[in-house]
Amino acid sequence: MNRRKFIRQAGTVIGGTLASPYIMPSGLMSMSTTAPMAEHVVFVLFAGGVRQQESVLQQYLAGSQNENVEGNIMYNMLSGAPPNDKIAYGRDDIQNNIIGAIPIDRILQTPLAEQGTLFPEVRFSKGGAGHYNGLSTGVSGNYELSQSLRARPASPTIFEYLRRHAGFKATDTWFVGVDIGGSRPLLNYSEHPDYGRRYGGNFLAPLTTFGAPGMKHFMDFKNYHPETEWEIIREIRGFLNQNFSTEGLEIPHLYNSEEEAYQIREFVRSTFEKVKANNLILPPVNDNRDLKAIGYAVEVLQWFKPKLLVVDLSDIDVCHANFTAYLKNVHRADHGVGFLWREIQRIPEMQNNTIMIVMPEHGRDLAPNPIQDLNMWYAFDHSTGNLNTRRIFSLVVGPGVQGNLRVGSESNPVGDAADIAPTIADIFGIKQQVIDKGLLDPAAMSLFDRI
Amino acid sequence: MQTSGKYFVIAMLIIGSLSMVACRRDVTVFGIDDLTILPINSEKNKPKTSAQYISVLYTNLFQRAIGPNDMLSAQKAIESIGDKQIAYDILVSKYMNDPTLVLPTNEEMRADPETFVRNTYTRFLIRQPTEAELAWMLNYINSRPNVTPELIYFSFATSNEHFHY
Repeated sequence: MNRRKFIRQAGTVIGGTLASPYIMPSGLMSMSTTAPMAEHVVFVLFAGGVRQQESVLQQYLAGSQNENVEGNIMYNMLSGAPPNDKIAYGRDDIQNNIIGAIPIDRILQTPLAEQGTLFPEVRFSKGGAGHYNGLSTGVSGNYELSQSLRARPASPTIFEYLRRHAGFKATDTWFVGVDIGGSRPLLNYSEHPDYGRRYGGNFLAPLTTFGAPGMKHFMDFKNYHPETEWEIIREIRGFLNQNFSTEGLEIPHLYNSEEEAYQIREFVRSTFEKVKANNLILPPVNDNRDLKAIGYAVEVLQWFKPKLLVVDLSDIDVCHANFTAYLKNVHRADHGVGFLWREIQRIPEMQNNTIMIVMPEHGRDLAPNPIQDLNMWYAFDHSTGNLNTRRIFSLVVGPGVQGNLRVGSESNPVGDAADIAPTIADIFGIKQQVIDKGLLDPAAMSLFDRI
Repeated sequence: MQTSGKYFVIAMLIIGSLSMVACRRDVTVFGIDDLTILPINSEKNKPKTSAQYISVLYTNLFQRAIGPNDMLSAQKAIESIGDKQIAYDILVSKYMNDPTLVLPTNEEMRADPETFVRNTYTRFLIRQPTEAELAWMLNYINSRPNVTPELIYFSFATSNEHFHY
């Protein structure tokens, strides 16, 4: 065999191997599936609209309040020295009555930007910079410009793509919302006729489930025996449902199996016990809602080890009226993300096998509104048409992700807010199937294809 | 004279035509129309809102109306869990722990299971059971000593039919 023929034949074998279908864990097989890059993905929607100036640009007060103090208040995620003056983003110094004077200790010795790849200038390229638009775009990869607020996304969410094309079960996919406001409970599946509730992800708003409403109506719910009492309930209910078999008329469930439903009920029961015993997993500093939501997200991770968990944070949005509180919550969101990454590495099934993605749902205005806080610092909204609201970043970290890499710059933005859904599909090996459906925004593509 | 004769002819014509009509034989054609036989519960095709469901559920279980604050917090709790079957299962499980729940005793159910079944259908599904449903339920109760009114109430309360109106 001559050399040219050998290379040609070897190339055919290698090409055939690369093109051969990957059999998904569910047994589904397709020519367009490929081996997953990781077994788990955690996607953080960060965290109510953050300005580039106080995040990746690390301008602290210099980019907003005309004060010459710069520095990095997100040192778990980003590389860079913290501010050395006018510290107002940390914990309150109660003894000396100074708000935010004590910065929170870093959790990660190596910032995530050094462990992974940072896209510092991503664009929220279409539509108004509203929270629902941002969250919906994040989970669906489509801006849905005509979407109303109290409606499910019109395009499939990543939960539906994964359940339908990768064969994931319901408890493999979770959306942990910081609360039930802003139509968050509608983001776990779309209205698309080919997808929808049949492929929806599980949703949990833990601060409500385990807060006052849940304590009143869920806590200490009766513990029926799974093999005797529940069996009777299943049989009688099955008979009743069989006699009410009009298509589609059912309590809107998510096709969790009986075993999955049992696991969810037990998770709720177990978590209430932890709440009562003050034994929840929480970040070292947990003095806002976002950090508590992250603690509950870790509880979900520990219990279910899901393939995909999306958690959204929103306390940064106080920036509409209080810039100091905004700085504190940006600092805390970074603390929460660092804690989340540390806890993922403490779960044996997820350690070194999880890719985490962090992306703000949108930015905020360049110019302030007239509202001043106790420090006389001005607040910022997120207004339709303001170009600064379109400036966001994306951070990807985990196995197979190149470390210490920055892709793009202010003069050369790389990435779009609609990229995350195809990126997650790429990680789980179903990118081509998702693209072929033609339901993503035209600008959307896997971040791995942008490197 | 000519005029009266003319009237006479006209009158005779009218009487003649009336008598012809009156003498026509009625022909009745009997036929069979197509009729779709629907289940007894087929008119329940609208899902209840969470407020409607919780309100009806609470009334059925406690025989009194839920207060507005409890209603609001129950709605929030339900909204916080994505799978509504699981959320309602937990809610009903919680209500089953409430000592003010109005529930027949096991002895009452077993003393007259037919009345219990009929009352349960009426309470939760606003209708009487069909003969087939009644037979199935009576057989189920009589053949399983572990079946309790609580488990039957739970099943009815969280059934698809109870969620629709």
